[in-house]
Amino acid sequence: MEAKGTRSGTVRRRHLIVVAATAALGAAGAFRVLRGPAQEERGRPGAPGGPAFDETYRGRRIQGEPTTGGGVHGPGGWRVTVDGKPLGLMRRADGSYLSMVDHYRSYSTPLAAARGAVDELGTRQSLAGRLH
Amino acid sequence: MAYTRRNQRSLSRAERRRFVDAVLRLKRRGEYDAFVRTHIDHYVSDGENRRRVAHMTPTFLPWHRRFLLDFERALRRVDAGVTVPYWDWTKDRTPAASLWGEDLMGGTGRRGDRRVSTGPFARGNGWIIKESVTDGDFLTRDLGRPAAPLALPTRQDVAWAMGETVYDVSPWDSTASRGFRNRLEGWAPGTGDARWRNHNRVHRWVGGHMLGGASVNDPVFWLHHAFVDLLWSRWQRQHPDSAPFLPERPPAPDEPQHRRVVARREPMPPWRTTPQDMLGHQGIYRYAE
Ligand SMILES: [Cu+2]
Ligand SMILES: [Cu+2]
Repeated sequence: MEAKGTRSGTVRRRHLIVVAATAALGAAGAFRVLRGPAQEERGRPGAPGGPAFDETYRGRRIQGEPTTGGGVHGPGGWRVTVDGKPLGLMRRADGSYLSMVDHYRSYSTPLAAARGAVDELGTRQSLAGRLH
Repeated sequence: MAYTRRNQRSLSRAERRRFVDAVLRLKRRGEYDAFVRTHIDHYVSDGENRRRVAHMTPTFLPWHRRFLLDFERALRRVDAGVTVPYWDWTKDRTPAASLWGEDLMGGTGRRGDRRVSTGPFARGNGWIIKESVTDGDFLTRDLGRPAAPLALPTRQDVAWAMGETVYDVSPWDSTASRGFRNRLEGWAPGTGDARWRNHNRVHRWVGGHMLGGASVNDPVFWLHHAFVDLLWSRWQRQHPDSAPFLPERPPAPDEPQHRRVVARREPMPPWRTTPQDMLGHQGIYRYAE
């Protein structure tokens, strides 16, 4: 289910702020430089989970970016939203991600977890806005 | 006197009604939603540097045993003749099973919003969801996940777990490659749906609220976990020479799981109960198998 559907339109990659801290888990150190069409975006330490995303999936806007602060679920977290409402993610020991709507399977990236959450929400449910 | 937990399919019509009525009374008193919150609050994943007591951890089985006992005690305060029935999902495998009848769990959710609209736990019949991560106040299900069908675990899947001679192994989490606990909980290597086995797969098969930390909103949660609990007892009987719980001692300060798992004689929050306290249930309840 996680790879189903297509990205509609282009991925709107916003200018990324420099994320200073490295995450507790996953590959550390690799500097990845993201290149935007008009301007070169600033590099950031390679956060686990892939690049930030902002796309429409099955009619829902899903956005995600790595965070550095110690959120509810520890460092190396992500801020992910579905239609602007926060979608809590948790990390598994194998590096994959669980979302709060789906605790009994995990996904390789935050993007896949966000798409999986949209799949489970169906067409007429929304997130309540709570993180856990 | 020990009471008996029975297979839900052997309950009479009157017994089904008494169980449902007791659940509905706990819900009206607000006690039911306290159980939902407790479960949400204790879902800690193993990629977090925190103590886990409920999932992805050796105490998965004793923690849920204690949780079910609390719920059952509350039910029996309402009606002393009621116990938690179990759902043997290796046998009752379809949405047409009597488990999902209007006088017990009610049926699957409707298309679109997955709202359950039959049985005692339908919104229209008064079952209102208060603790949830979605905005609806109705119970949701997606039995068998028709859009991408998934089968319930089989007897072979259960045998794959029961055949393990060791209770749990380091690193004591969802990546443990052996051990009865992780295989029954259902985190497996591989690809696709083969990664979600036994206990986890049942949560997936029911779908809707059963997928999240708020899975307790669906009363089938208790029938599912009663069967998981039965399987733990059966495993102990089949492996009398195996340590009934591991780890025996807390991981040392230089080990990665230090302060992240609970050892045999340490308390399991939110209780002071230890895994040792939960190793047997003789004198409290028995299973009619
Ligand atoms: Cu649980
Ligand atoms: Cu469970």
